[in-house]
Amino acid sequence: MNGRELLRFTFRERLLHWLVGLCFGYLLLTGFALSYPSLFWLTLLVGGGPAARALHPWVGVVFTAGALCMLLVWGRDMRWNKEDGAWMRALRAYVRHDKSQVPDSGKYNGGQKMYFWVSMVFALLYLVTGLPLWFPALAGASWLGWVGWMRLLHFLVALGGGGMLIVHGYLATVAFPGTARAMLYGTVTRAWARLHHPLWARQQIGD
Amino acid sequence: MTTLAIKRISASSAPPPGVSSGPEYSKLVDISRCIGCKGCEVACKEWNELKSETTFNFGSYQSHQDLTPNTWLLMRFNEKEVDGSLRWMITKDACLHCAEPGCLYACPSPGAIVQYTNGIVDFNQENCIGCQYCVSGCPFDIPRFDSVTGKVYKCTLCVDRVEAGLEPACVKTCPTNAIAWGSKEDMTELGNKKVAGLKNRGFENAVLYDPAGVGGTHMMYVVPHGDRLEDYHLPADPVASPGPLKALGWMKDLGGLLLGGGLVGALVHYLALGPQRPDETGSNSTEARQ
Repeated sequence: MNGRELLRFTFRERLLHWLVGLCFGYLLLTGFALSYPSLFWLTLLVGGGPAARALHPWVGVVFTAGALCMLLVWGRDMRWNKEDGAWMRALRAYVRHDKSQVPDSGKYNGGQKMYFWVSMVFALLYLVTGLPLWFPALAGASWLGWVGWMRLLHFLVALGGGGMLIVHGYLATVAFPGTARAMLYGTVTRAWARLHHPLWARQQIGD
Repeated sequence: MTTLAIKRISASSAPPPGVSSGPEYSKLVDISRCIGCKGCEVACKEWNELKSETTFNFGSYQSHQDLTPNTWLLMRFNEKEVDGSLRWMITKDACLHCAEPGCLYACPSPGAIVQYTNGIVDFNQENCIGCQYCVSGCPFDIPRFDSVTGKVYKCTLCVDRVEAGLEPACVKTCPTNAIAWGSKEDMTELGNKKVAGLKNRGFENAVLYDPAGVGGTHMMYVVPHGDRLEDYHLPADPVASPGPLKALGWMKDLGGLLLGGGLVGALVHYLALGPQRPDETGSNSTEARQ
């Protein structure tokens, strides 16, 4: 990092992000492979159907632990305040890339905080609906019906998570150039910070 | 592998109808004729070369406590009092080979569960991924998971014998002809005759067990005390595909469209508005002032 750049994510934060991200990618890939027969071939990329079925829950355990760490690491920064509500009301302008109509945001804007908390709730739901699917035969036929509901809910939450990943991946790469490097190398340019997180930029630069 | 005509395959589009349809077979188990010899259990183990398991006396005439990956057929003995006298409520507990197989509907692995046009529902362990959804999908609690092999197992209706024109091993061995074998139509007719006979003998609640909720089965029972199905370990109203699984079916289609729409939406957004780049030249000038 040279003096002109701002540190946005520490090594620890980047490691945590990519650990959870890698787990989520694996879970999404194997989950969709087992949900859509036409995508079953995707299991071949990760060692076949039985391996995907055997590893999916264990990767889910790592994912859950990672999500918990994220809560501990980022929970404070993600606390909701009045400015975040104002930011959310300006969402339409944000989507139109009209930054003049969007309230200045700190290190994280309202959308990012919302994304964070929805992800946390989803992580909990993955766990709650996923555990019965790990051992569907444990209680034999008495699970009848329940397993179906859990499969339905687990799928719906994963669908939501997949949709969020599209938004996340799009915004962090091609939509806002200069963003992805924050999660790769830890730093952003001052101009990037002024554009996307003006309050944070002022705090960091001190002007 | 068998060369039988296929009716349904798990997690796959159904084969085109009308390609081939041989006779549809069924077992008919007349509980009133069963003497409890368990010869069928032995025949099943022998033909399918299933490992014997250590059994112990747990206060019942029953051999094993439950079905296992190595015990695909279990004669359940339930001692009950009916009208002041002791009765054995015997059930030949094994796969019923449903016409609407809940296990197959629940299975996410293409080709792991196959239903043939002759009525047999068979597991192909080489395609099984060990998820055990079939166990939860079966209204009769039949499939058993082997944690060593990571696969599920159950009665095959002796698919290899049937394919060769033979009756299943349990049918062949039964000394009292309590298990009959033939076409589904013939067995239904025979079953109804047996039920009528039982009614004449005073079993006024006798029924032919061929539950409609699973589209009928390819092992039917003649049940002397049809009003006490639960004592026979038989669900009164089994259902093949519970609501959530049906909902899951169309939600997957909808979900795929939504996600695809999301990707297209991101593309359209990018093409319409392009990237939002920070003004690096502008920032340089402000920084120069500092």
